[in-house]
Amino acid sequence: MVFSSLVFLYAFLPAVLLAYFVAPKRFKNTVLLLFSLAFYAWGEPKYLILIVISIAQGYLCGLLIERLRGSFSAKLVLTISIIGSLGLLGYFKYANFLLSTINEVVGSKIPLLKLALPVGISFYTFQILSYTVDVYRGAAAAQKNPIDFGAYVVLFPQLIAGPIVRYQDIASELTVRKSTLNGVYDGTVRFLVGLGKKVLLANQLGAICAGYRASVEPTVVYAWLSSVAFLLQIYFDFSGYSDMAIGMGKILGFHFPENFDHPYTSKTVTEFWRRWHMSLGTWFRDYVYIPLGGNRVKKVLWLRNILVVWCLTGLWHGAGWNFLLWGLMFAVLLMAEKLFYGKFMQSSKVVGHIYVIGCLLFSFVLFNGSSMAQIRSDFGAMFGLRSLPFLSVETTYALRSSLVLLIMSAIGATALPVKLYHRLEDSKFGPYLNVLQPVGLVFILLLSTAFLVDGSFNPFLYFRF
Amino acid sequence: MKKHVITLVLLGAMLLGGGIFMVTGSKELSLTERRTLAQWPKLTWQNISTGKFMSSAEDAAADQFPMRDTFRSMKAYYLRYGQHQLDNNGIYVTDGNAAKLEYPLQDASIKHAISLMDKIYKRYLLGKPVKCYYSVVPDKNYYLAAQLGYPSMDYEALLATLDSSLRMTYIDLFGQLDENSYYNTDPHWNQETLLPVANALTQAMGVPAPEVIQTLDAGEFSGAYAGQSALPLKEDRLRYLEIASQDSCSVLDVANNTQIPLYNLDKVGSRDPYDFFLNGASPIQIITNPKAKSNRELVIFRDSFGSSISPLLADSYAKITLVDLRYTYSDVLSNYISFTNQDVLFLYSTTILNNSQTLH
Repeated sequence: MVFSSLVFLYAFLPAVLLAYFVAPKRFKNTVLLLFSLAFYAWGEPKYLILIVISIAQGYLCGLLIERLRGSFSAKLVLTISIIGSLGLLGYFKYANFLLSTINEVVGSKIPLLKLALPVGISFYTFQILSYTVDVYRGAAAAQKNPIDFGAYVVLFPQLIAGPIVRYQDIASELTVRKSTLNGVYDGTVRFLVGLGKKVLLANQLGAICAGYRASVEPTVVYAWLSSVAFLLQIYFDFSGYSDMAIGMGKILGFHFPENFDHPYTSKTVTEFWRRWHMSLGTWFRDYVYIPLGGNRVKKVLWLRNILVVWCLTGLWHGAGWNFLLWGLMFAVLLMAEKLFYGKFMQSSKVVGHIYVIGCLLFSFVLFNGSSMAQIRSDFGAMFGLRSLPFLSVETTYALRSSLVLLIMSAIGATALPVKLYHRLEDSKFGPYLNVLQPVGLVFILLLSTAFLVDGSFNPFLYFRF
Repeated sequence: MKKHVITLVLLGAMLLGGGIFMVTGSKELSLTERRTLAQWPKLTWQNISTGKFMSSAEDAAADQFPMRDTFRSMKAYYLRYGQHQLDNNGIYVTDGNAAKLEYPLQDASIKHAISLMDKIYKRYLLGKPVKCYYSVVPDKNYYLAAQLGYPSMDYEALLATLDSSLRMTYIDLFGQLDENSYYNTDPHWNQETLLPVANALTQAMGVPAPEVIQTLDAGEFSGAYAGQSALPLKEDRLRYLEIASQDSCSVLDVANNTQIPLYNLDKVGSRDPYDFFLNGASPIQIITNPKAKSNRELVIFRDSFGSSISPLLADSYAKITLVDLRYTYSDVLSNYISFTNQDVLFLYSTTILNNSQTLH
C-alpha cells in the first residue's frame, strides 16, 4: 500500500486513526502494530513472515545484549544480529546482483534466484541494526515489551520509505506520548503538503520521464528535459513521502527526524548530503564512518573511509553497478571538495549552485539507468553523441506542455515558498492565512484525490462489456 | 485553535465520507469512458494470499470513488487552466474541438493490418472478377495537429507502406476532408460533410454518385470525447443526409438476423449517439436497395467510420455488405459472403490501422 493511494487515504488512514484515538493508552501501540502489519501485508502478503522474523530477531538480540553487556557474549550476540539482519538484506537484495556479476566475469550460467525485493527491507533492516548496536553501546536500553518494539520496527508511516528512525529517537515516545491538537494539526498540514508534492508534482514529473523513455524520436533537448524532470521528480517523490511520514508520526504523537532540508539550494556536494536523505547520511556516519575512524585518522585512511561509506551508500540504494558508480562519483566529489575547492564553492554566490545542480543532474542519470547500456545511451543523447536531432515536434510539445509544471517545481524545490509564507504570516495579511491555509489544505486533498481517481482512466470508443 | 478544530473536522469528514461511499460503491458503468467499472473483489483467503484482492481493490477504489466524473473534471480544469498542460490523458481541446493524440506510427500494427488485408485478398479475392480498392480515413489530428504544432503519426509513411504492400487501387480521401469534417466532441466524421467523400469513392469505383435530397436534423448529442476530456464542450448537432432512394433501402443485421433502420433516431439519446448510423457496430450488415442507381454490389471491410458513409453509398449500389473485422473473423467470411464480381473496398481509419490488434 502506498500513501498516495485512495485505499490508504480513504480507507486505511481513517480506520487506523479512529482505532488509535479511540483505543485506551495501553493498547495504542498494539493498534499501531496490528495496523502496520496489515499495511505491510497489503503490499507484501508473502513477506510478512520475514518482517516478523526480523522483529523477533531484533527484540531477542536486544534483550540478550543488554543482559550480557560487557562480556564477549554480548559482542557475539551483536555479531549474530548484524549477520542476521545483513544476511537477510544481502540475500533478498544483492544475491542476484552477485550471481549475475559472477556469470559475467567468469562466463558461468548460474541461474538467478526468483526473488522479489521485500518492500522496505533496506529501511527496517537499518532500523533494527541501529537498535542492536545502540543497545550494545549503552546508548539505548533494550525494549522489554515486544509489542512496543514491534511497533517501532513496522510503524507504518516510515516503514517503506523512511526516514530511518533510530530507536533512541523515539524510545521515550513509545511509552509516553501525547497527541495534542496543535500536533495533530501541524502533522496534518505536513502530511497534505507531502501528498501534494507526491501526487501533484512528482507523479507528473515522472510522466515527462516516461514520455522520453517511450519516445520513438528522442532528441538532445528531450534527453535534457527528462533528466531535469527526474532531478525534480526524485526530490518531490522522496521528500513528499518523508513529509507524509513525519506528518503522520506527529498526528500519532511521534517526532521523527527531518529528512530533507531544501537540498537543491546547496553550494557543495558536502552540503547537499547534509540536506538530502539526512537520516541515511547520519546513519552511515554514526555506524560506519565514525567506527572506521572518520576523519581522525591519517589522510589516506580518511579517504578510504569516505570511499567505503559511499560505496555502501550507493549499493544501499540498489543492487547494480550503476548505483555503485553513483556512490563512487559522490565519493570522488566529496574528496575533491575537502581537498581542493570546497571552500571556494561554499563562499561563491552562484558558481556553487550551478556546480551542485550540474553534478546532481549527471549523478541522477547514473542513478536512473536500468542498465549500463541505457546510461551510456542517456549520456550519449544528452551530449549529442548519438546523432540525434536537437529538437523535434514531439520534444517541443513536451516542453510546452510541461513548462509551467517545471517552473512550479523548480521554485517549490527552493526555500522560497516557505520564506514567502512566513513573510505573509508576519505581514498585515497574516490573519487571512487563518482562512487561506485551511482552504489550501482542502484544495490539496481534493486535487490530489482528483488525480488519483483519474489514475484508472481507461476509455474505449465503444462500450466494452 | 478554532481554525484547527474546524479544519480537522472538515478534513476528517471528507476522508470518512469519501471512504464510506468508496467502499460501498457498486456502480457498474462509466458513461464517459464507455466501459464497465471495476468492482470490489471478494474477501477470500486465496485472493488475499495471492495479493489479487489488494491489486483489484486499488482499481475498484478509483472506479467506485464517489463523484468520479466531477473529480476527473477537476483534474482536467487544473491541468488546462492552472498548469497549461496541452492534453489530459492524450485528449486535447482547441476552439471547442476535442481530439486525441495518435502518435507515433505503430509499424507492427500497420504490418498486422496489411497482413490481414492481404490474407483476405489472397483467400477470397485473388483470381475472381472483383475490383479491389482501399482507402484511408484520416483522423482529426491530420488536420489539427500540424496547425497546432502537436505530434501526429507519419501519415506519409503510413500511406507509402500501404501503397507498397497492397495489391489494390488506392482512393484518396485526405483531400476531401478538413478539420470541419468531424464532430467536435467525437472522433468520427460528420455525415453532413461527407458528400465529397461519397463522390470520390463512387467516381473511383465507377458507379453513379449518390443523390442527396435533403439534410435532416436528429438533435444534439455529445460524442465520445465529451466525457473523456472531462471539460464542458458544446454539443454537436447530429445532421444526416437523406438519399433519393432512401425509402427503398433495407438493412439486415446478419448476426441477429433482424432488420434495422439506416438511421435509428432512438440512438441519439443513447449511451453511444453515433450508433444512430446503421444501429452501431455489428459483425456483418447488408444494405439492399432495389432502386439504387446501379445494380452493382459492394463489400466494405470497415470500421465505425463506414457506418456513416455507407447510407450515402446505398444510393449507388444495389447491395452493400459491411464487414467489421473487430467483431468477426476473416476466416469465417465464406459462410456469409460469396465473392463473385463485387467491388471490394477496405475502408479503415488511421486510428484503427495504428491500433489494428482489434482486427481479426
